[in-house]
Amino acid sequence: MKELLAQVNEIFIDVLDNEDIVLSETTSANDVDEWDSLSHIQLIVAIERHFKIRFTSKEIQSWNNIGEMLTSIQDKLNQN
Amino acid sequence: MTSEIEYILSKIETDSPIHAKKLKKNFAFFDEPYYDFTTPFLKKYLALLASENKTLDFAVACYLNMIADMNSETVAFFRTGKYSSTTFSEVNERVYANPEIMEYYMHGLLLSQFLWKHHYDSFRFFYENLPKYVDNTQNYLEIGAGHGLYLNKALSVFDEKTPFTVVDISQTSIDLARKFNTNNKVAFVVKDIFDFGDSDTFDFICMGEVLEHVEEPLKLLQKLRKMLTSGGTLFLTTPTNAPAIDHLYLFNNVQEIRDLITEAGFSIESEMEFPSEQASPEKIEKYKIAVLYGAFLKVK
Ligand SMILES: C[S@@+](CC[C@H](N)C(=O)[O-])C[C@H]1O[C@@H](n2cnc3c(N)ncnc32)[C@H](O)[C@@H]1O
Repeated sequence: MKELLAQVNEIFIDVLDNEDIVLSETTSANDVDEWDSLSHIQLIVAIERHFKIRFTSKEIQSWNNIGEMLTSIQDKLNQN
Repeated sequence: MTSEIEYILSKIETDSPIHAKKLKKNFAFFDEPYYDFTTPFLKKYLALLASENKTLDFAVACYLNMIADMNSETVAFFRTGKYSSTTFSEVNERVYANPEIMEYYMHGLLLSQFLWKHHYDSFRFFYENLPKYVDNTQNYLEIGAGHGLYLNKALSVFDEKTPFTVVDISQTSIDLARKFNTNNKVAFVVKDIFDFGDSDTFDFICMGEVLEHVEEPLKLLQKLRKMLTSGGTLFLTTPTNAPAIDHLYLFNNVQEIRDLITEAGFSIESEMEFPSEQASPEKIEKYKIAVLYGAFLKVK
């Protein structure tokens, strides 16, 4: 998870264009100013590209924080 | 913020906090003219809802349905770089001719008109410039009026005697526009604009967010050019990179829209760009962020 978190953090920095973002598993959209509806979708698609995975729309809507997002990514990677 | 708007935002927040977050950012920019427009407009809209035993909750539910559609279209668009629909007949059947979808879509769009900064700004660009055209307009046409908000404004600006025609392919849109505008000088026509006779000519044509709904926008512009009197004006808006359930033609950037306008034989009298996010031009290009383009055009 640590390794995943670091990779996701890089994607957030790139997509949200903010070097200062430091994610933890409990980080939610409330904690990151630039993380809103459109950037959420941009983040998802960037994560899909990076890990070569594809989320379902249910998964996309279900995450409340980074930890849940990481669990989804891990599940997908295990399936591959 | 008025209490109705606060109520709408809090409802949206319960369902989708990250969407509410984006909307709240818009409110930092809204100034006095915004409330001058929104307050009477909401009053009128609430009365319309009440006449059908509906409340603001219905409108918010419609809006959220529309947002859910847009979100899945946006995911698909970022994955593929394309709009998901390709033919007019498919969209006509699935959307325009489907009262259930069309009803929530048009009510949702109506709310977006004052919740989204770029929708409000483009509407304001329209109504602030409209008075310039009153003297030279003997008859007025609107294409794809949808909810009927633009029509509502135009009716209040133009002379009592100016005849108005509204063409929209969707019966649901026409019904809503008619409810919104009980003025009986308006001729409402349910028709595909391509089937609308071009023997009639108009001094002013308004076409908000329709160009991206057709397979061949150049053909549509060329047709409108023929329907305008010499010296007539076409007002249009159309977005770049805006995935939606009924969008067919993808403009990748604003220059592509301008090029098409010129190719169709129009010159641009005035124009504005309304980005859907507060972002730098570089970011808009890199992330394919939607920009709404609006312009008043003249026949060349
Ligand atoms: C996105 S809504 C635009 C509503 C409003 N004009 C605005 O700018 O907010 C598009 C409208 O155009 C109508 N429409 C789409 N294609 C059309 C066509 N070929 N002929 C006539 N109306 C059409 C739809 O039924 C819908 O009411």
